[in-house]
Amino acid sequence: MIPDVQYAMQQSQQNLADAVLQVSTSLRVNKLSDDPSASANMVTSLASSATVDQYTKNVSSVLPRMQTADSAISSIVTSLNSAITLGTSGASSTMLTANRQAIATQVSSVLTSVISEANTSYQGVYVFGGTASTTPPFVAASTTYTSSQGSTANPLASSTTLTAGSVTTISDATTGKSMTFKAATGDTIATLQAAITSAASAGTLSAGTTATINASGKLSIGTNSTAAGIAVSSNEAALGSMTAVANTQVANAYAYVGNSSVNDVQVGDSLTVASNITGSQLLTSGTNVIGALTGLITALQSGTSADIGTSISDVSSALTAVGQQRIPFDNGISQLDSQETFLSSETVTLSTAQTALVGVNLADAATNLSNAELANSAVLAAAAKVLPETLLKYLQ
Amino acid sequence: MSLNTSLNTAVQSLNAASGALQITNNNIANANTAGYTRKVAVLQEGASTSDGNISQGGGVVLEGYQSVRNELLQTQIQQETQAQSGANAQLSSLQAIEPTFTTSTTDIGTDMSALFSSISSLSTNSSSSTSQQAVLTAGQNLATAFNTASSTLTTQQASLNTQVTQDVSSINQLTKQIAALNPQLTQLKATGQDGGTVQDQMDQLVLKLSALTSVSVTQTDNGETITTGKGTPLVMGSQSFALQTANGSEGMQHVLDQNGSDITSSLTSGDLGGTIQTRDTTIPGILTQLDTLANQFATAINAAQAKGYDQNGDAGQNLFTVSSTVSGSASSIKMTVTDPALIASSSDGTSGSNGNLINLTAVQTTKLASGKTPGDAYASLVYQVGSQTSSVKAESTATTASLLQLNDQFSSVSGVSIDEESANLISYQQSYEAAARVVSTIQSLFSITMSMGTAAAA
Repeated sequence: MIPDVQYAMQQSQQNLADAVLQVSTSLRVNKLSDDPSASANMVTSLASSATVDQYTKNVSSVLPRMQTADSAISSIVTSLNSAITLGTSGASSTMLTANRQAIATQVSSVLTSVISEANTSYQGVYVFGGTASTTPPFVAASTTYTSSQGSTANPLASSTTLTAGSVTTISDATTGKSMTFKAATGDTIATLQAAITSAASAGTLSAGTTATINASGKLSIGTNSTAAGIAVSSNEAALGSMTAVANTQVANAYAYVGNSSVNDVQVGDSLTVASNITGSQLLTSGTNVIGALTGLITALQSGTSADIGTSISDVSSALTAVGQQRIPFDNGISQLDSQETFLSSETVTLSTAQTALVGVNLADAATNLSNAELANSAVLAAAAKVLPETLLKYLQ
Repeated sequence: MSLNTSLNTAVQSLNAASGALQITNNNIANANTAGYTRKVAVLQEGASTSDGNISQGGGVVLEGYQSVRNELLQTQIQQETQAQSGANAQLSSLQAIEPTFTTSTTDIGTDMSALFSSISSLSTNSSSSTSQQAVLTAGQNLATAFNTASSTLTTQQASLNTQVTQDVSSINQLTKQIAALNPQLTQLKATGQDGGTVQDQMDQLVLKLSALTSVSVTQTDNGETITTGKGTPLVMGSQSFALQTANGSEGMQHVLDQNGSDITSSLTSGDLGGTIQTRDTTIPGILTQLDTLANQFATAINAAQAKGYDQNGDAGQNLFTVSSTVSGSASSIKMTVTDPALIASSSDGTSGSNGNLINLTAVQTTKLASGKTPGDAYASLVYQVGSQTSSVKAESTATTASLLQLNDQFSSVSGVSIDEESANLISYQQSYEAAARVVSTIQSLFSITMSMGTAAAA
C-alpha cells in the first residue's frame, strides 16, 4: 500500500506544482512538451507579431519624412502661383522696363525659395535627391567645369585611359536632364568627349556642350553659352574632382545632381510605399519647373510682352505638372495613415491569438489551483488515516 | 499409545511452532527489505504409527521453508523496469534540451525575427550607421543562438556517451555478482531446498540489471542464464561475460560483446538502450535539422547580399560564414562582416539606395532548399523536440503506473503483510502454548505413573 500512497502523493504534488506555475506565469504552455503543436504555432505567430511591429515602426519612421516633403511641395506650389501672378503683372505692355526689372528680381527670389524647398532635408536626408540623399540635389549651374587633374607640364589627353566603372555625370539646368557616363574597359577621354557630343545632339545637354583639353592641360566641360549652365561630378581618378570655373555661374540657373532612384519601404505583407519623390521627377524631367522660372526671369529682364506671356504659360504648365506628380505621393501618405490603423488592429488580433494558443484564463487557473490544493490535502489526509492502520494497533 | 509417543508428538509440535514463529519473525524483520520474498513454514503431518490395530497420527513435522514467488510477475516486472528505465533515460536528456528551443525568451526563432526586423528598419534610412549596426548585432545574436543550441545538443550527446561507459561498467559488475550466486543457487536446488535468500539476492541483481539493459532470463540446470540484446550472453552458470566499449569512427562509444562484436544497435531498452537511442538517433535527428536550417539560412542571406552593393558601391560580400557541409553548420555559423557599411542595402551602388534590402527581407518568406521558409523550418524543429519529449514523458508515466501495479501484485503475493504475519504470530504462539501445555500434562502423567505403587501413591 505504501508505494501506492507515495505515488498518489507525488502525483498530487506535481499537479499542485503545475497549477501554481500556471497561475504565476498565466501560461498554459510553459515548455514545448506541454503542447508541442501550440508551441510550433507560437513560433509562427511570434514571427508575425515581430513583422507587424516592424511595419508599424516603418510607418512611423517614413511618414514624417514624407509629410515634410509634402509640405515642401505645397510651398513650391504656392511659390509657382506667386510667380504666375508676378509674371502676369509684368506682361502688361504698358509696364516700364525698370518695373519689369523689379518684378524679375521678385521672381528670382521666388526661384531661390523654390530651390530652398527643393533642397529640404529631414534628419540629415535630402528628401528630393533620390537615393543620392546626402548632399543637396539642386546646385547653382555654371557654364564651365574643369578637372583637378592635368597641368601644362603633364596635360591630359584624349588618349588618357579612364578607369573601368568610373562615373561622370553632367546635369543641365536648361534641359533639366542629366547625362551619366560609366567608363568601360579601354575607354579614354575621347570616349567621354564623344558621349558628351552625342548627348548634346540628342538634347539631353544644351546644344554646343563639349569637353576639351584646355590650355592648362585640364579637361574642360562647358556649354559654350553664357545662358546655359551645368553641374558636373566625377569619381574618375584620371580627372580628379570637377570644379566650376570661377565667375562662370549662370544667374538663376540650377541643375539637379541627385538621381532618379526611389526607395520603397515595406509597411505590410503586400504593401510597399515609395518613400520619396525625386527632384528630377518633380521639378526637372517632363516639365522643367526650374527652367520655366528661369525663363520667366529672363523674359522679364529683357523680353517682350509676348515672350513674358509664353514664359507664364510655361510656369503654368509647370504648376500643373507639379500638381500631378504630387497626387501619387499624397496617396502614399494616405495609405500610410490607413495602414497605421490596420496594423494596430492586427497587433491586437495576433496578441489575442497567442493568448488563446498558450495562455490560460486566470480565473480558470485560480480554480485549478484551488482544486489541486484540495486534492493534495485529501491525499495527505487519506495517507495519514490509512498508513497507521495495522492489526498490531488492535492487538493489546 | 505410550506417553513417550505423545511426548514426542508434543515436542514435534513445539519444534514446528517454534520454526514457524522463527520464519514469521524473519518475515516481520524483513518487511521493508527490498526484494525480500516472504517465506512460509511448510508443515507436514508426520508418518502415522500403528499400535496393534490402532493407527496413531505422527504429529506435525516442519519440512522447511518455502518462498512465495511468482515467476511470471517477476519477469513482467523486469520487462517493465527495462521500459521505464529506457523512457526515463530519454526523458532526462530531452528535458535538458527542451529549454534551448523555448518560445518565451531569446531563441533562434526570436533572433531570426529580430534580424529581419532590423533589415526592414534599415530600409527606412539605408545610410544610417545606427540602423546598419543594428543589423550586424542582430545577425551576431542569431549566429550565437545557433552556436548555443548546437553546443547544448553536442554537450548532451557527450554526457550520454560517458553514461554508456558507466552503464557497461555497472552491467559487468552485476553480471559478475550474478555469476557468483549461480553455483550457490544450483546447489540449494539440487538438495531440494528453496532458493530462499540466495534467490532473493539473485532476483534483486537481475532487477538492477534490467534497469540498465534489456535482459532475458532462462532457468537452466546451472542456474540462471542471462542474455541481452539479440542473445548476447551475459551470464551462463558460474561464468559472466563482460561487455566492452570502444570508440567508433564517429567518436561515440560502441558496446561490444566478449568477442568484440558490436552489439550497440541491438540494445534498445533499459538505461543503456535509452541512452544509446537518444545519443545516436534522437539528438542527431535534431542536430541535422538545426544544421540544415543554419546552412540554408546563411546561404540564402549571403545570396541576397551578393545581389546588392554596400555603402562604398562595392558588390555585397557574405554576411555569414558557415561550414561547406551541412554537418556542423549550426556550431560554425559566424557573422563575417564587422563594418556596418558593408551591408549591401543598395541596388544601384548609391549609398542612399535601399533597393537590395527587399531581397534580404524576402529570405524570411522564401522557401529554403528544404522546402520550408526559415520560420516554418524552425517551427518544425520546435514541434519535433516538443512532441518527442511529450511522447517519452507519456511513456515514462505509463510504465511507472504499470510498474506500480505490478509491484502491488508482487507485494500481495510475495510481500510481507504485517497484518498477516501478526495473525500468524498469534496462531503459532497459540500452537506453541498448546503444545507446551501438552508437554506439561504429559509430565504430570509421568509423575503420576512413576508414583504408582508407592506409599505416596497410597
